[in-house]
Amino acid sequence: MNQSINVRLFGAFRQGNPESSLTVEIPEGGRVTDLRQAMESALPDDNARSLLKASAFATDSAVLDDHDIVPDREISILPPVCGG
Amino acid sequence: MILVDITESVLDPLAALEHCSSDAHGAADLFIGRVRNLNDGRSVTAVSYDLHPQLCRNIFNEICTEALAQWGESINVYLVHRQGRLDVGEASVITAVSSGHRDDSFKACRYLIEQMKVRAPIWKQEHYTDGDSEWIKGHALRTGD
Repeated sequence: MNQSINVRLFGAFRQGNPESSLTVEIPEGGRVTDLRQAMESALPDDNARSLLKASAFATDSAVLDDHDIVPDREISILPPVCGG
Repeated sequence: MILVDITESVLDPLAALEHCSSDAHGAADLFIGRVRNLNDGRSVTAVSYDLHPQLCRNIFNEICTEALAQWGESINVYLVHRQGRLDVGEASVITAVSSGHRDDSFKACRYLIEQMKVRAPIWKQEHYTDGDSEWIKGHALRTGD
């Protein structure tokens, strides 16, 4: 059985994605690695897929490890950061 | 005492110094990050800052709490970042610290800005004089494969 995850997009992931999120399917109880795999198919081009490799996933309160179970139906994808 | 925030308003250095003020503090240190007009040889007109507000506030609080743990619970710390499109010369971030003596203020203030740059979920898109725009490459938050 699958669950739908709404993935919020930030930074360069917004390029070419007028919507600020993507919805993907992962197995119920799936892990961040499953989400990463689902995003690979959902992203529109090679640039975005390349950026995915360097990106982390997070809830509103913490950055997730690839082995973590996806804890929410809404997750954010975080490309490399550069504040300041 | 910790103050963190994300704002679309113009940043106010005096507000930072007001927060970082105490009769017991003989030192206050202030850092202002501003939009520069040149990056990697390209002429910049503005920078757009995108960020994850809730997570950003959490990370800012984590960083500030670490500063208090390292330089003393009595220091005051301030970390505020701007979001939206900023023109050249505008302040994008302010960090400030006050403490009993200057060494702690200098070190803690630098800690805030250096940690913010590599941990906070903030992204910048530079806009150039030729009309082009580009998202700047940054520091990966991914921790495991």
